[in-house]
Amino acid sequence: MSAIEVKNVNFVYGKKTPYEVHALEDINLSIKENCVTGIIGHTGSGKSTLIQMFNGLVKPDSGKVFVDGKDIWEKPKEISKIRYKVGMVMQYPEYQLFADTVWEDIAYGPKNMGLSEDEVKERVTTSAAFCGLDGEALAKSPFDLSGGQKRRVALAGIMAMKPAVLVLDEPAAGLDPRGRREILGGICKYQKESGTAVVIVSHSMEDMAKYCDELFVLSHGKLLLHGDCKEVFSEGELLRSAGLDVPEIYGVVKAIRKQGADISKYIYTVNGAVDAISRLLEGRDE
Amino acid sequence: MALDVTIGQYYGTGSVIHRLDPRAKLLFVLTFIVSIFVAKDVYAFAFLALVVIASVLISRVPIRLVLKGLKPLVIIILFTSVLNIFLTRGEELLFTKEIIKDFWTVNIYKEGLINAALLALRIIILLMGTSVYFSYATTPIELTDGLERGLAPLKKIKVPVHEFAMMMTIALRFIPTLIDETIKIMNAQKARGADFSTGGLIKRAKALIPIIIPLFVSSFRRAEELATAMECRCYHGGNGRTRMNVLKMKIRDYVFIFLSLTMLAGVILINIYANGYKLL
Repeated sequence: MSAIEVKNVNFVYGKKTPYEVHALEDINLSIKENCVTGIIGHTGSGKSTLIQMFNGLVKPDSGKVFVDGKDIWEKPKEISKIRYKVGMVMQYPEYQLFADTVWEDIAYGPKNMGLSEDEVKERVTTSAAFCGLDGEALAKSPFDLSGGQKRRVALAGIMAMKPAVLVLDEPAAGLDPRGRREILGGICKYQKESGTAVVIVSHSMEDMAKYCDELFVLSHGKLLLHGDCKEVFSEGELLRSAGLDVPEIYGVVKAIRKQGADISKYIYTVNGAVDAISRLLEGRDE
Repeated sequence: MALDVTIGQYYGTGSVIHRLDPRAKLLFVLTFIVSIFVAKDVYAFAFLALVVIASVLISRVPIRLVLKGLKPLVIIILFTSVLNIFLTRGEELLFTKEIIKDFWTVNIYKEGLINAALLALRIIILLMGTSVYFSYATTPIELTDGLERGLAPLKKIKVPVHEFAMMMTIALRFIPTLIDETIKIMNAQKARGADFSTGGLIKRAKALIPIIIPLFVSSFRRAEELATAMECRCYHGGNGRTRMNVLKMKIRDYVFIFLSLTMLAGVILINIYANGYKLL
């Protein structure tokens, strides 16, 4: 069964005003359990709107969203329960921190869920440890931390709710390469250990190629491509026409193929290219 | 959402009203407000209502948009008019009923009904007129520019006119930004299970803390960033500062100011000569 299923969803911003925008047009997709799904699209492609539908922050104008096979808008009053099931980390989540201490901030979500004190304590400690925050940091004010640490606190705050699906909007935006690696690597490690479904939204193709198992590409509110990384990145021209970059290595491999070399078009990581090229060279030596 | 704000909602159509000098528009709104409070007579209100309708038509701003701007104030309008119906005493009694014996009797007079209707009309005309000239047809920048230039003589008595205008520009500029920010933070906290709509007063007030604190923090951050950016561009106040667009009064602006004064004179004349209801 899929973790989230979206059926024939439409959404229009600013209806009946001169600024009307059809943000999503007839979107159908399903997010698989136990894997990392990427949603790619350039600015304004509707990706943020789409993920806000996953936990009921935005209600589709038409169409349905299913979480665990259940229509989330069947009982609108119980929409907050969906928000515990589908944990959402917004863009720049460090701006949502508010509590006196890091510990209090991470505990905000679990406390809202009405868990027992012991349970809250246990969850805060585990998810904080997961995000590389230890005892000393937990007593600090979240406003005294560095940018990368703040983001990890915000992430821990959502992870502590133990959602069945974890959705992250541009989790690595504005971080340096090391920060990116730590955050994204940490998320993937979390996914493997907890077995939750993870959805990452980004427009960085390199990151997506490295961490995602399955990809959806959005363009102007429509679903443009869907498949695993191999399938999606082999459509370089289509991606470029949607205003997206393809991983740079794709261009290198394409140039080699143009020279007449027999190299697969399903190569999108540097390591993959190194293997393929060295194999090519070995073949020529013999 | 309760965050529909009309301030700063510029709606560009390039009409004559849009192109008027902001100082002329400021003067018009000033005479318009005075006219509304001077007007005592049904005919005077009809005349001012015509002025507003003509302004909306000339500005080519959709009437639906202008009416939408009234929505947040419907309750205030209704409240004040209903109070007027019950509290005005007059000569012609239309309805009376003793609700609690010897203590509370409801009397409705004809004058009360008329007063209530005129009061509602007064507020509606005021809001529509000012919103057309100040928010739909004038950008906030033009408005504060006009204010700065219009009040320039006050500089002679050491009033920091430029500084006030700059503060106003910044404040207006950040209204939409702060609204966006509020929505974002609300969504983020909702995603963590925050609940703003149930529970008692204290519980609801407490639920706002996770929104207000991040909002304050980001406002201070923005203020600091903006100050740094302004200093980087050597901003040092109004002295010696030149402008890209220098405001210049044209013939149409003088005609418009003449019309504004005529409107005020017209309302006063109607007040004097009309033989309608004497309300005050």
